[in-house]
Amino acid sequence: MTRRFTALAALAVVCAAVEVVAGRGMSPGAVWDVLNGGGDATERHVVFQLRLPRLLVALGAGACLAVAGLVLQSALRNPLAGPEVTGVTPGAVLGAVTATALGLAGWDSPLAVVLAACAGGCAGAALLWLLAGRGRGDPAQTAVHGVLVSAVLGGLTAMVLLVEPGELGSVVQWLVGTTEGRVWEHWHLLWPWALVWGVAAWLLAGPLTLLRCGDDIALAAGLSARRARTLALLCAVALTAGAVAAVGALGFIGLLVPHLAVAVFGADLRRSLPGAALTGAVVVCGADAAAQLSSRLLATALDSGRLTLPVGALTACLGAALLLLVVRRTPSRTF
Amino acid sequence: MVVLLAVSSVCALSLGTPYVPPHRLVAAVLEGDTTLAGIVVSELRVPRLLLALVAGACLGAAGLVLQEALRNPLAVPEMLGVSSGAALGVAAPLVLAFSLPAVVQPLLAIGGAALGGGLTLLVAGIGRSPSAVLLTGAAVAAALQAALLVLMVMADQLDLQLIYRYLLGSLSARTWGDVTGLWPWLLVAVPALVLCAPVLSVLRLGDEDAEALGVRAQRARLAALAIAVVLIAPVTAVCGPVAWVGFLAPHLSRWFAPAAGAVRWLPWSAAWGAVVVVVADVPARLALAPVETPAGAWTALLGVPAGVALMRSGGRRRAAAQSTPAASAGVREQLSGPRKTASGVADEVPPAGASHHAHRGEPGPGGPTSPPLGTTRTEDVR
Repeated sequence: MTRRFTALAALAVVCAAVEVVAGRGMSPGAVWDVLNGGGDATERHVVFQLRLPRLLVALGAGACLAVAGLVLQSALRNPLAGPEVTGVTPGAVLGAVTATALGLAGWDSPLAVVLAACAGGCAGAALLWLLAGRGRGDPAQTAVHGVLVSAVLGGLTAMVLLVEPGELGSVVQWLVGTTEGRVWEHWHLLWPWALVWGVAAWLLAGPLTLLRCGDDIALAAGLSARRARTLALLCAVALTAGAVAAVGALGFIGLLVPHLAVAVFGADLRRSLPGAALTGAVVVCGADAAAQLSSRLLATALDSGRLTLPVGALTACLGAALLLLVVRRTPSRTF
Repeated sequence: MVVLLAVSSVCALSLGTPYVPPHRLVAAVLEGDTTLAGIVVSELRVPRLLLALVAGACLGAAGLVLQEALRNPLAVPEMLGVSSGAALGVAAPLVLAFSLPAVVQPLLAIGGAALGGGLTLLVAGIGRSPSAVLLTGAAVAAALQAALLVLMVMADQLDLQLIYRYLLGSLSARTWGDVTGLWPWLLVAVPALVLCAPVLSVLRLGDEDAEALGVRAQRARLAALAIAVVLIAPVTAVCGPVAWVGFLAPHLSRWFAPAAGAVRWLPWSAAWGAVVVVVADVPARLALAPVETPAGAWTALLGVPAGVALMRSGGRRRAAAQSTPAASAGVREQLSGPRKTASGVADEVPPAGASHHAHRGEPGPGGPTSPPLGTTRTEDVR
């Protein structure tokens, strides 16, 4: 187990290194110079003020989303419950966009954005709960209802955006999820929030492991299942809202990374929760590095400077492909 | 319904910035080009109304065809990747700044829609469980959406506004040219629909029964998908993916005539689709008056909750109709009760889809007999 953690941490370091050197405009040698204390002012600015915060934000957001997904899947006992398909992410986007449009929040008051995203996420989850009803019998049915909820919330977001069209350009990047142009302020906003709720999730790891076994067993073991589930859901919504406020709606991270983490670290959440955090960080960071590299290659190939691949598009494509594989490989299960 | 349609069409024709009172509408149309009201009504509002009617009818019929062919109450164009494929086909040349003649646009949309729907069905396998098909469709739709968003990120601000509006499904500023562009496609699609309706009602019986009656189920299903694509793609090319009409309209028609078959549902579904789009277009035009909101946002906003509620209550109604046999089955099940409870929760995995809804509806009318023991037990614990 320790070996797996070490391997994953090494992978994270490799991804981080690639991410730092992947951007366009600077050769890896120049970056190395800057890190050793050399380089001119522009290069130092690029590395320390742009690339490092971007890297950290990618790592933090990936960890948040993965932990939120794992907590949701364990609490609802639903392998298809990710923040994206339970209406939490679209709700958070709606909350943040609405707050920005009403002038209650802006990039100069980042905490308000997070709080608005949090409220929106709760609203989205509540809407799904209303729509799917109490008896969450069939996980797939819940997932399908989640897609419907996302459609409703997407419609609302669109209305808000059309009433306030001035922000459209910057918000679209945010709807797909991008780490473009993240600076230290975003990181200073993200890490305390992620730390608080991450610790809360870790404290809930024991009860959540029990909840995974089923309500009967959890009750027999003396756990108040309802209260534990409510706390876990709150925790998941808060983590998702933090990540969404920082980088936008990254697709499929919260749905698929938990499965990867459980496959690698086992079903005991006390171990697989930190594992999921690490895996999520690696995946988002790697995807961001790949997106930067590919947009660099595309720019040289197509000879057009304006093409940048947002990381959210890459994770969505990757996640969709993985989901298709999973659905295809288990034909007998109805999910 | 006729009243609703009439009222909303009169609203659509008369309300707006030059307000034309309803009793002067006919005169305004007859006067034609001479007065301002005549020009506004005959050149702007009438084509818009016609377009809304045609688009709604197409989407409603396509939704019913898809739902019946896949025997899945949630199989809607949005969830199968058909709509996003068509939207991608239209938006791509817009961003990449190819100038194309207007005739090619529906073809591109059809190509995209066929790509999306075909990919979903290819990957999912056609005869699989409805949930698996829907999840695959959601994945395909998400991938296509991501591609679309990449395009949107590349576009500059002015294009972006245009595309965003288009993607939400908007009927604003459509003229007679757009309406006439739809006719050839309708000429292809309507006879195909008429031919395909009886086959749909046979498919409803299940694949084996359909094969026994001489219908090649897989081929019929592919044909139905092709018809749905031909119906959806031109509409999408003209006014964007007006969301969730294909979900709401069939459920409305089923709710009002639960005993009818697919053949009778088809015209009703088309009519309801038209009504839904016309009704949604009125608040889209007037709610935030100087700014025009897209009709697709309204249909998504109102259509999804309404559709889900209809689906639920329809399932309950069907369960109530079957309550007598269900109750007797419940008694029988209670007799064999102890074995069932002992074998526990794992036995009672519901088979998903429509049957699941009917299943969950049962405890209400079934009342004190409480038929499915395992299910109620798990729900109580939760």
